[in-house]
Amino acid sequence: MKFSGLVENEILKFSRQRRFRVVVLILVALIGLIVFAQARGRERVLGKKDWHVETQERMARIQNGLRDGRMPPSMQRWARFELDRLRYHLDRDINPDAVSGPLFARGFANAASYLLLPLLAIVFASDVVSAEFAQGTIKLLLTRPVGRARVLASKLAALALAITLTVLFGGLVAYLFGGIAYGYGGWAAPVLSGFRASGERLDPAAVRSIALWQDTILAYGLAWFASLCVGAIALLTSVLLRSTASAMGTMLAALIAGTILPRLAPSWEAQKFLFVTNLPLPDYYSGSPPPIAGLTVGLGAAVLAAWALAAIVAAFVVFVRRDVLA
Amino acid sequence: MSAHAILPGAAVAEVVLSAEHLTKRFGQREAVSDVSFDVRAGEVFGFLGPNGAGKTTTIRMLVGLARPDRGTVRIRGLDLARDFRRAMVHVGCIVESPDLYKYLTGRENLVHFARMLPDGAMARIEKLSALVALSERLDDKVATYSLGMRQRLGIAQALLGSPDILILDEPANGLDPAGIREIRQLVRVLADERGIAVFVSSHLLSEVEQTCDRVAIIHRGRTLATGPVRELVDRVASDRLRLDVRPARRAADVLTAFGAAETEAAGGEGTVRARIPKERVPDALRALAAAGVDVFAVERELASLEEVFLEVTGGQTV
Repeated sequence: MKFSGLVENEILKFSRQRRFRVVVLILVALIGLIVFAQARGRERVLGKKDWHVETQERMARIQNGLRDGRMPPSMQRWARFELDRLRYHLDRDINPDAVSGPLFARGFANAASYLLLPLLAIVFASDVVSAEFAQGTIKLLLTRPVGRARVLASKLAALALAITLTVLFGGLVAYLFGGIAYGYGGWAAPVLSGFRASGERLDPAAVRSIALWQDTILAYGLAWFASLCVGAIALLTSVLLRSTASAMGTMLAALIAGTILPRLAPSWEAQKFLFVTNLPLPDYYSGSPPPIAGLTVGLGAAVLAAWALAAIVAAFVVFVRRDVLA
Repeated sequence: MSAHAILPGAAVAEVVLSAEHLTKRFGQREAVSDVSFDVRAGEVFGFLGPNGAGKTTTIRMLVGLARPDRGTVRIRGLDLARDFRRAMVHVGCIVESPDLYKYLTGRENLVHFARMLPDGAMARIEKLSALVALSERLDDKVATYSLGMRQRLGIAQALLGSPDILILDEPANGLDPAGIREIRQLVRVLADERGIAVFVSSHLLSEVEQTCDRVAIIHRGRTLATGPVRELVDRVASDRLRLDVRPARRAADVLTAFGAAETEAAGGEGTVRARIPKERVPDALRALAAAGVDVFAVERELASLEEVFLEVTGGQTV
């Protein structure tokens, strides 16, 4: 009756269902497609001008800007980092604008955090409880000498594990496939991060220069966190609706609404408190302008955490108290 | 007829499961009203009623899937609502249908549920699968099992924790006659040899009559009668005789004259059914002999539970 045994049960059920293989397949196929399409597009763009010359020109412009003293101090910080970055690449004879395997993997974190990773989290979470109802096995599961809260906790733990593996696997496949197209080296290259949006413009005051591998871990960490939160919310819908199809449908509708809403109604600021608006945490972190004014990584993470926590509490209360009549 | 009356002279066994005034409402409708009964160690207790009578709702309350609005379930004296985990250690059950994970093998299903039980359950897997004759198919996916095999796997699963009470909801449902006989024999073995209390629900009267020691009849959420199967049968059956006589016609005339109200010739030449009060049977037989009728056999006929049911429910359809 150890808790680890219960988690083992849930993992066994996860791994034996077809969806696990489907998710692996989706990731492999999708990332393969992206790499292929990008590599094709790049061949056409690159190679017109010698990048060495171009990079040296860029460095000269920045140095001029620094010398003539009209640059605001916050900008100067950014300019120095950017100079270092360009020099790093030039010294190693690497095109600073070229994609590397690691860079591709890093970029995948941002791209996937919008829809793909949350979607996969939903695929796992939607049937964690509802499948037991649909199969009728809930009647056996809840008539063992194990409290209902423990049963749900074991399911939550297994779900978290599945989501974690999915994010890791996605990153790994992105790196492997990206490496085939762009080479596997380049983890140590410096990247600038920590831009903050202030009003309409990017504020470079908090910019830092960190190694790509650190940046990548951070980005995947944020994508992982966002996916976990989505998983928790999907678990609640699974508990409430007791049907996998409706749970998945509801969560998909929410996801899609989340991608549409900021575009259609960017001035409605309250939407920054919706969980779907905050899924692209890696984006907010790397400093692309947020879709809604006032969104930051910190706020986004806090909003997501609050939603997830509330969903987990509600899921436990309903699961423990409700009669099983299915 | 029931061959399993409680052994004469046996000490009254421990009450393992007791339902006390269970009541459950769904909105306005009271699905189960004030249902009470005790199930003792070593007996097979039948829970008989037509579909929709409240059997499954009652069972859901017995195993903690549904919370009674009023009333208490006690398992070996433990209040299920307060002591769920300690109480459920003693319970094995199949509710409604033997639903197991179809995409797992039989063994994986048993391992899965053994992990949810105290130590020792894992070690019983081999023995139990042999008991329910599934050893050879244990590593096949449950999806490939017949309904009878699923039912047997369900029973093996229910026995994993070596329970004191086994609760089976309509175990005969969907099984062929051979499958029903297997389950029936298994249930008797568990009760007679292992002293397990077995609670069996059924809408099949013949099923309960053949398997159970005691029975509670539930109709529209209320228990109408509770008692030994034989006693209930005797309530309507004590005056039925079946005679193998020749010539039948003359025997029928004699018996009718004797005051037996419902004499009828049935089932060929030599069979006569009659309702004669017990104390007048010797006189009736003497009269038959005097009239030159040859009597080959006289049997007391037990009524089927169907008739009991009709009587106690006041003619409601079964």
